[in-house]
Amino acid sequence: MVAVPAASLVFAFFASGLVLLATGHNALSSYRRLFDAAFVANGALGQTLVSATPLAFTGLAAAAAFRMRLFNIGGEGQLLVGAITAAAAGLYFGGSGGPSAFAIAAMVVAGCAGGAAWALIPGILRAFFRTNEIITSLMLNYVAAYLLTYLIFNTQSYWRQTTGFNAAVFPTSKDLPSSALWPGATIHLRGGILLPLGAGFAVLAAAVLWVLYSRTRFGFEAQVLGDSPRAARYAGMRTRRKILAVMAISGAIAGLGGASQDGDFRHTLDADPNGLQRQYYGYSGIVVAALARYNPFAVLLVAFLVGGLQNAGNTLQGADFPSGLVGVIQGIILFSALGGELLVRYRIRISRRPAAAPPAPEAA
Amino acid sequence: MRGITKRFPGVVANDGVDFAAATGEVHALLGENGAGKSTLSNILTGLYRPDEGEILVYCRPVEFSAPRDALDAGICMVHQHFRLVERFTVAENVVLGDHRREGRTFRLRYRTIERRVAELGERYGLAVDPRARVWQLSVGEQQRVEILKALYLDARILILDEPTAVLTPQEAQVLFETLREMAADGRTVIFISHKLHEVKAVADRVTVLRGGHAVATVSAAEATPRSLAVLMVGHGLGEGAPPKARAPGEVVLGLEDVSAAGDRGGAAVRGVSLAVRAGEIVALAGVAGNGQRELAETVAGMRAPTGGVVRVAGKTPRPGDPRAAIRAGVAYVPEDRLGTGLAPSVSIASNLALKSYREAPASSGPLLRLRRIRERAVELIQRYRIAAPGPAAPVRLLSGGNLQKVVLAREFSGQPKVLVAASPTRGLDVGAIESVHSYLHEAAAAGVGVLLISEDLDEILTLADRIAVMYEGEVVGETARADASVEEIGLLMAGGNDPRRD
Amino acid sequence: MSRGKSVRAVALLASASLAVLALTAATGSARTEQRSSAFKVAWIYVGPHNDHGWSQAHDQGRLYVQKQLGSKVQTTFKENVAVGPQLQQTVASLVRDGYKLIFGTSYGYFDTKLAAKYPQVLFEQATGTQTAKNLSEYFGAAEDTVYLSGMAAGAATKKGTLGYVVAYPIPEVIRHANAFALGAQLMHPGAKVKLVWTNSWFDPSKEKHAAESLFSSGADVLGQNVDSPATGEFAQSKHVPWVGYDSNAKKFAPTSWLTASVYHWGPYYVRRVKAAMNGTWKSGFYYGTIKDGFTGLAPYGPKVSKATKAAIAKKMQAIKTGKFYEFAGPLYDQKGKLRVPKGKRLNVQQLYAMNWLVRGVIGSPKG
Repeated sequence: MVAVPAASLVFAFFASGLVLLATGHNALSSYRRLFDAAFVANGALGQTLVSATPLAFTGLAAAAAFRMRLFNIGGEGQLLVGAITAAAAGLYFGGSGGPSAFAIAAMVVAGCAGGAAWALIPGILRAFFRTNEIITSLMLNYVAAYLLTYLIFNTQSYWRQTTGFNAAVFPTSKDLPSSALWPGATIHLRGGILLPLGAGFAVLAAAVLWVLYSRTRFGFEAQVLGDSPRAARYAGMRTRRKILAVMAISGAIAGLGGASQDGDFRHTLDADPNGLQRQYYGYSGIVVAALARYNPFAVLLVAFLVGGLQNAGNTLQGADFPSGLVGVIQGIILFSALGGELLVRYRIRISRRPAAAPPAPEAA
Repeated sequence: MRGITKRFPGVVANDGVDFAAATGEVHALLGENGAGKSTLSNILTGLYRPDEGEILVYCRPVEFSAPRDALDAGICMVHQHFRLVERFTVAENVVLGDHRREGRTFRLRYRTIERRVAELGERYGLAVDPRARVWQLSVGEQQRVEILKALYLDARILILDEPTAVLTPQEAQVLFETLREMAADGRTVIFISHKLHEVKAVADRVTVLRGGHAVATVSAAEATPRSLAVLMVGHGLGEGAPPKARAPGEVVLGLEDVSAAGDRGGAAVRGVSLAVRAGEIVALAGVAGNGQRELAETVAGMRAPTGGVVRVAGKTPRPGDPRAAIRAGVAYVPEDRLGTGLAPSVSIASNLALKSYREAPASSGPLLRLRRIRERAVELIQRYRIAAPGPAAPVRLLSGGNLQKVVLAREFSGQPKVLVAASPTRGLDVGAIESVHSYLHEAAAAGVGVLLISEDLDEILTLADRIAVMYEGEVVGETARADASVEEIGLLMAGGNDPRRD
Repeated sequence: MSRGKSVRAVALLASASLAVLALTAATGSARTEQRSSAFKVAWIYVGPHNDHGWSQAHDQGRLYVQKQLGSKVQTTFKENVAVGPQLQQTVASLVRDGYKLIFGTSYGYFDTKLAAKYPQVLFEQATGTQTAKNLSEYFGAAEDTVYLSGMAAGAATKKGTLGYVVAYPIPEVIRHANAFALGAQLMHPGAKVKLVWTNSWFDPSKEKHAAESLFSSGADVLGQNVDSPATGEFAQSKHVPWVGYDSNAKKFAPTSWLTASVYHWGPYYVRRVKAAMNGTWKSGFYYGTIKDGFTGLAPYGPKVSKATKAAIAKKMQAIKTGKFYEFAGPLYDQKGKLRVPKGKRLNVQQLYAMNWLVRGVIGSPKG
């Protein structure tokens, strides 16, 4: 049971060890540093959670849709739009003097709604016009990124900070009022591990998804529809509604990830081209979901591991360790994990071509 | 071809078939579906290897280990489903099949190829622009491209597998002329069909296959549609024990002037009226592709009728809504078991609950009651003797017969009023066929109105109380089991008394 | 649903992660703590350290520090670091590894909150505006040298239309575009400068497209305020003169190259590192000039005539002595409105908030 992932891991270490040796690095000490920076060092776990939380959201978003064979590649755009709508809610309700819980709840709702609405665009196109959702959702990622840039760089929008010297030097968003900032729980261990509120929401979302997909009629229908749309129709399932619902759920989770970016980590709507947009959480989330075989709890675990890998990458790189090499190592590890997974799923057999054609009964 | 035998697991598709076609003739290969026509032609084109027997081409024994060898021997087949690259031009498609001359060269000389294609087209009346893209062509034109491919390769023996299935009557007439032209040119044309009037119209001689045997070779001029029908369906069928007399009750399924469109547009079902009473089995006989599947789907709500009314137990469920049909009491055993009737990767238990998951006891509110679903699955697996590793196994792991049992178990357990069973025994072995038959009997005995769609006259005569024959979307005849004659049904199925043709 | 499968998947992953954790535990908290006495200084770059532009200029400064101070310092850099959580993670890891002075070379990296979180660490940020007890800001008055490079461009144009590839519509870029246009207009009165925004500091393909569109709309000299040499490579392919930015990128366009405004970060970095080492480091807002040796011009290319060189040298001298300032009135904006009256000069605060373009610039200050 452990054999395949273990073998993948061994393979990954071996392959990246070769790369490391070829580039003149000590493989063992590099691995040590990697693990240390990801999980062991003081504060490392907290920093890993910073990377893991958004990946958990986008991973869950991808898993929710991919399970039904709805290939929502738009987690990235849905996260950005969720961040935009949640920031609006945070600025509006956080500044109104009401209780913090109310502002946070408003951000959660707004983030989910924003992401869901953005995902419903490809959803509607797919359900009613049979448009390929891979292409439409992917294209909308670019639209969302341009929208974000536009709101802060090219207009005097609600989100944009317009007063003060700093705002004149470089366009930025308004800072969220303190009552709209999401609190975190600190575990006093190894220099303090901050558990962001968003991480809690991600766990909750995973649990809800799990129940939804394995315990409800909705999940039953999604499963049949994902496996065979004809069988679903045969059984009298409402396929269009289901497509819309699944896209909305997927988008809502990604949008919640955007809200968490605002509330947990950035404390503003980050429109900096070198900021949120450069992290590509939406795309990494697809890898996370694939590695986790679309199982919600496995997504959480994989997000944690991949988050650790990303976090440790920042430590590993340096003057003598180019960031490109870090990327190569991360790539090899992910590739091996996926490769091992594929090997298990589609057993590759090499055999001689049979002399006669495979037997098949006559079907006229 | 001498003594050709080909066995597949559980089936002998060809059993000692002798078949000879002469130079310059159009030779028809006639038989019902499953009679062994396709297997025979696949052997002739090198796709399959015969288990026994030998093939002689121009009196020389040959052995084909790949389709290429058959091509080299001058044998070419035009398949029912075209093998064309849609984005390529006609000329490109033609040269694609050529592995000997121009097709092997690195640079293709399209001019020359196009000229040759145009010449061939003119000579045989296969008018098609060599530069047109295949996707722009009509189905008839695409078929011409297939024939041109064969002519371009200089095929001496040309096999056409049910070429008229996709053609309009006018296009078919043109095709027949082309075929005669080619025969007159000294080529051999083997024409596979199950339509009697076509065979009469185009062939010189007819070889009839039945159950894997070549039963006779006759001259087309001397044969009548009736005599061919008798040869095709055989004697002595339906002479088993007559079904027990049942007392039919109320009409549970009433079709009034129902029409429906096919998948590619065009009318597939034309004004069908039919009634099925509680406790009776009505068979809808006919060769596949004459609108039976579309009719069944219309009853099951999977296809919206373009005209007419479907009544189930006196009510009219919303047309084109499978859920409404299910609620009204329609059970449906689709032809396509794995894919429509069952979701392949989903567990057996879930597949058994595919139609009952919405209501108690399988679910309560939005939640599923997984234990109930599982218990029910275990119970049905036992009762229907489904050989399965367990209720959690994906259904695709089951064999064909067990798949059908899963479908039947689910459909019967829904306590339907009407059961539509489309080719429920196709591809099953003898044991499985028997159990399916007994389940259908049980259902009728329990007061369900059964509409059985089948091509198998044997099956129809064992099971049905009444028989309706469908041809080209219409019910062309209806008769009680007691009055049915095999010859008459066979003739109707093959369009033998089609007024438009005679 | 296939519960068995998903349970198995979870089990697999759980065991895999346990294996990872076990491995980690086995290695222990093996911090690669180098017990050397070297003072540790780090740089954080927004792009790759070898971008032939902005980040590379800083990295040359880092290497200069290493060369000047030798084994007394240990330097490193982190490249391609995004603003936000990744920056936070990077700083955390640098602090953990014992770095005492960190230079961040992009706007938005450091703020007073971060400085307060690590009071024992000194931060310096290029191009930013926030200062704290342990957070300094530094930048150079590149508008002076961009003006001089604009003179070289103005001397090279025949048609009087120049193209300028620009990153973001922010004051820093706007004032450079203005300086470039004013310098060009000095040598070629009435010269027009067309802008194309790329909305990125470093994006070679976008920069190339921008250069292409400027060239095809009639520009016969190209300039840039972006970080890659893509514009230069394009200019070379069309044999069009080119003015770079940040770095000497002559090798990318040997014959098209005119010059570029460059920053000499090295000497500043050495000063600041030394101050940090001996405890005299003080927070401040440094705005380096030609006189300080902080900004300058890269070596000229073959297309710059002797007369142009002499004119530029004369102007440079005037700027050094304070006799000339390019942003002294009268200055008119694109619509001909008088923005700086005669006798007035723009101060640094006004430069940092400049949001209007001078007469002769074609493009919108809003991007």
